Amino acid sequence: MQPYELTLADAAQQIRARRLSPVELVDSVLERIDQVDPHVGAYVAVTAEQARGAAREAEQEAARGMFRGPLHGVPAGLKDLIDVAGSPTSASSRVRAGHRAGADSTVAARLRAAGSVLVGKTHTHEFAYGLTTPQTGNAWDRGRVAGGSSGGSAVAVAAGAATFALGTDTGGSIRVPAALNGVVGLKPTYGLVPRHGVTSLSWSLDHVGPVTRTVEDAALVLNVLAGHDPRDPASLDTSAVDHRPEREPDLAGVRVGVPRNYYFDHVDAEVETAVRRGIAQLETLGVHLVEIDIPMTRYIHATQWGLMVPEATAYHEGTLRTVPELYQADVRILLEAGELMGAGDYLRAQRSRTLMQEEWARVLEKVDVIAAPTVPMTAVKAGQESVTWSDGSTEAVSDAYVRLSSPANITGVPALSVPVGHDTAGMPIGMQLLGRPFGERQLLRVGHAYERTQSARSLAPAA
Amino acid sequence: MSSAELTPPEAARWTARAGLPLPDDRHAAVAATAGHIHSVVSVLRELDFGDTPPAGAYRAGKEKRDAAV
Repeated sequence: MQPYELTLADAAQQIRARRLSPVELVDSVLERIDQVDPHVGAYVAVTAEQARGAAREAEQEAARGMFRGPLHGVPAGLKDLIDVAGSPTSASSRVRAGHRAGADSTVAARLRAAGSVLVGKTHTHEFAYGLTTPQTGNAWDRGRVAGGSSGGSAVAVAAGAATFALGTDTGGSIRVPAALNGVVGLKPTYGLVPRHGVTSLSWSLDHVGPVTRTVEDAALVLNVLAGHDPRDPASLDTSAVDHRPEREPDLAGVRVGVPRNYYFDHVDAEVETAVRRGIAQLETLGVHLVEIDIPMTRYIHATQWGLMVPEATAYHEGTLRTVPELYQADVRILLEAGELMGAGDYLRAQRSRTLMQEEWARVLEKVDVIAAPTVPMTAVKAGQESVTWSDGSTEAVSDAYVRLSSPANITGVPALSVPVGHDTAGMPIGMQLLGRPFGERQLLRVGHAYERTQSARSLAPAA
Repeated sequence: MSSAELTPPEAARWTARAGLPLPDDRHAAVAATAGHIHSVVSVLRELDFGDTPPAGAYRAGKEKRDAAV
């Protein structure tokens, strides 16, 4: 096994035991990037020299017996909405030409302080306003979409071109590409991970979180990212929690909600089968399955758009007036049309969110975790714009990909995507676990327990 | 097109009023996209909100800006 193939937890163990040097690990990942990135286009920029320098420092510290924790010497990719001091934050957009971040974002600073080595910035759908990331190819079939908007991060992790990565999630942008590329993605509770220094799509829906190869790895990264920073007004001062799941979690008595409505409607049959098999596997681990009804489903799409569309337009107000021609066509038209949404519609969406949060809280009194598909279908071919369901109805690909993930953005509850197999075309399928606010530890326990029942996943071919 | 939908000239007028003058060749596309967004979001008018306040965080007083890593 090559070092780039290691999970974060395994790499950390080997570095701690001095069987693996951070320099070897980072060199291995950089070589892997050279090998696969020309095929999949996960990275906007690779900072190889800085990464090698940081790896040497991590190695020198290790030689002195100094270990900063499990991320010590471990290479990471950051979605290119996340500021790293001295580097451009391109947002994968021509609008940001010449940009240079003056300081680290909170999450980049926390990763560095934990000893992680930043190897580069990964592609996003322009300014995170889309679900496909067209610059990047899927790690399992480059003719298919990467998913988005954190497509570069998910593809890099799936292909071994980063040991872990960070993404952002406004309607599903961590979980969607994680599901489509067969890796783990965690959208934490709103307010748990500070967004200071991260380019916004929609302030009231944006989250930052990890993309990893295993659930345990997601917990290790979350431990470093979580914690209050008053520079993000949504950041909450919560008590520190060790999110790492125990080695063999006991799920006896855990109540897992299985939605009767919404989450299995207009879902590809192979996706439904794989997710229901995953849920059945949880039952063998001792969980108690409870059928639940998802509330206010008619208003999910409307609430998501009523919040996101005007907030995104407001964020881009200046550049939409000065350099509109630099935006990609799909993003520009949404930003322009957003000027035409009135305050009444925005406030209705905010009031609907209040009602939805209350209704979801009632559901989450009855169950500890909800299990459902992450996305209704696997990765579609690049350029495909709509999907036709068995009842003859059609849906835009981007609407379909965001449909099952956006409730967690509206309500702020944590949501984890875990791989549960592949379809007959070989494309990965994701199961979504949703929990109570600040219930990440329970989500990660359930996800980890499931993962332990499966054989270790191989890296995507990405070539 | 229902009477509630914006025509291209109306879309141009209202975006201009919002401070975003649009080139002529964008009026129709922006009107169509705004119409689609409106059709999605207007469903919220069915809800009876009663005294429900909008969600949103607001705290009086400023915290010290000294937390980083």
